Amino acid sequence: MTGFKRLQVALSVAAGIAVVALFLWRPTAVVYGLQRAGLYASIALPMALVLGIVHIVNLAHGEMMMVAAYLSYAAARALGIDPLLALVPTTIVMFIVGIVLYRLTISRTVDGPELNQLILTFGIAMVLGQAVNMIATSQPRKISLDYVSASATVGDVSFGVYDFVFVALAAASLAGLYLFLKKTRLGQAATAVGQNPRGARIVGIDVQRTYTIVFAISAALLGIVGTFFMTKFSIFPTVGGSYTMRSFSLVAMAGIGNLPMIVVSSVILGVSEAAIQAVPHGGGWSPLVFFGLIILAIMIRSFRGGRA
Amino acid sequence: MRSRTLLAVALVLVAGMAFANGAQEGAAEPIRMGGVWPLGDITGEQGSKSAQLAVDELNANGGILGRPVELVVIDSEFSPDKGAAAIERLATIENVDFFIGGMSSGVHLGQIPALKRYRKITMWTGAASHLAEEAIGPDQDWYFHLHPWDYNQGASYVEGWTAIAERYPDIAIDRWFLAYEEGAFGSASFEATQQLFSDMEISGESFQSAAAGGGDYTAVLERAKEYDPDVFIWAGYDADALPIMEQARAIDFAPPLFVGAPPGWPASFGESGLAEGVTLYGMWAPSLNSVSDVSAHYYQSYVSTYDEEPATYFAPLGYTAVMILAQAVEAAGSMDQDAIIAELQNIEYDSALGETISFAPSRVISNQGIRQQKILQWQGGEQQVLWPFEFATSEPEYPFPSWDR
Repeated sequence: MTGFKRLQVALSVAAGIAVVALFLWRPTAVVYGLQRAGLYASIALPMALVLGIVHIVNLAHGEMMMVAAYLSYAAARALGIDPLLALVPTTIVMFIVGIVLYRLTISRTVDGPELNQLILTFGIAMVLGQAVNMIATSQPRKISLDYVSASATVGDVSFGVYDFVFVALAAASLAGLYLFLKKTRLGQAATAVGQNPRGARIVGIDVQRTYTIVFAISAALLGIVGTFFMTKFSIFPTVGGSYTMRSFSLVAMAGIGNLPMIVVSSVILGVSEAAIQAVPHGGGWSPLVFFGLIILAIMIRSFRGGRA
Repeated sequence: MRSRTLLAVALVLVAGMAFANGAQEGAAEPIRMGGVWPLGDITGEQGSKSAQLAVDELNANGGILGRPVELVVIDSEFSPDKGAAAIERLATIENVDFFIGGMSSGVHLGQIPALKRYRKITMWTGAASHLAEEAIGPDQDWYFHLHPWDYNQGASYVEGWTAIAERYPDIAIDRWFLAYEEGAFGSASFEATQQLFSDMEISGESFQSAAAGGGDYTAVLERAKEYDPDVFIWAGYDADALPIMEQARAIDFAPPLFVGAPPGWPASFGESGLAEGVTLYGMWAPSLNSVSDVSAHYYQSYVSTYDEEPATYFAPLGYTAVMILAQAVEAAGSMDQDAIIAELQNIEYDSALGETISFAPSRVISNQGIRQQKILQWQGGEQQVLWPFEFATSEPEYPFPSWDR
């Protein structure tokens, strides 16, 4: 067994012991950690698709989720329906938004330096945020929903269970994306385009069409996540920004293109955050733990790269 | 014949021009008020609308000193730089006579150097931080501050809770838990609570507000539940309001007093059944209409003009700022600044907030208006006033109802 393998095994055993100890000490911390992991993963997976598979750097990721959340909110308010009933129309609208955004803007930058994409999508993020601010103002919006407070009681401990919807969403997204990439011609084409766009073009793959559809699928997934997000959280024009940063960090921690590792990374970060928050006055350390673990993971991976 | 016709036309034109000029010279020059608010936020949006409402009412009744009144509004966008630039523009380009408006201590700190440069009479509705008061400094007789300073607010909470506990012996206020957002606002609230209620048991825990990328309050709510307080207060922002209630319900945390202390509440909070029994601090609520005729008049005018309810106390504050200035100018009988300041320092204005407002020195400045926040409670979807008792519109709902309500 190599030194790196031994390190991996040691870290895995240590993580397992830590989770068991946490569960014995404060079981709800593990529950909330897993729920938070589901939220992180379900937002990061669409980014992992466009960044990891077709290498589009989208800094407007969180803002697109914010727009989807507002769409569902507006539909629920206008029609007097439960926001989850707006899931399908919002997803369709976001799919179309993805096509339009890609065709009108991002397609002009895919062959250029990545800096162009960064600046362009940063500009899109600003435009989306300001547009929503002008239309809906900065006033936070939230619809009070009974089912969001659904809880379970084990012994004398009560905890919320609604957030497991994000765990299910992350699992469904991962399974769906895996099937799409491995079992469909378009998904295989997307992988090929991501690995070698010029080679894919030579063998007859319509590269622009592939990029467009992958970006639109990512936008549609954000439509689904955004709808569930607004059932749980208040929404306002800047609400998406921090999730862009978290998603980038998760993709970096998982390794570009490694979708299953997004889920694993989310679990590590989610449970670690919940653990630190379970310590009295530990809440302020939560961002430090989040980014500290990411730096650690990237350093370990670079160490492995150096050994290889 | 032709030259006579031309002469007649020329005479008519000259007479017309002379009449037009005469009419222009005879028209009273408007009195201009310059307002700065964050228009993207409900406090600024409704505060500026209320100021315009007051201006329209004044003009409908002949203006001030027979002169029409104009309101020029500039958006601060919650930015100190833009707020300061707005003051510069209002002073130099718009040539306003008064500065009014305001929300946010941070923005105000950026505006104060410009305000001190122009020294126009200023009627400020926002900024609670004592740092803003220190930045204004003593002996600035042109500066009038309506909103209570942070230490005024803290003192009024102590006074209010003590009075409530005395009047209602069932209400216990010995054991407190404060959940506070980890930024400057929340941390300052926790420190102030510890100092103000130093003879009581106090614990606290910070959380990351939704406004700062957080939104998960379960850890801090669990800690509060374990502490089992008489009074649970959360100090965060409006984005935290409903999610905190939903998450408290999920973990079955229902303390005897559930108090929210954000600077503003989301417009739809009262529509939620989760709002029932939540106590809060504020200066105005529509329920005051039943005890204040001025409040009722303001409320009806606002609703009939804008087809919406005022949802923040910054709305009646905007109306009040304009009306106080108007009353002082009328009493002074001229636009002489010293005469208006003298009238403002002696004014007693029955406000839409319930109080009769007068100005007196505070710790640093010469002219402080309101010194008290009210203690209110959501009951049946409306904010009812619990304290001060002279404005009370309802009895306290105590204890906070259990979640299987």
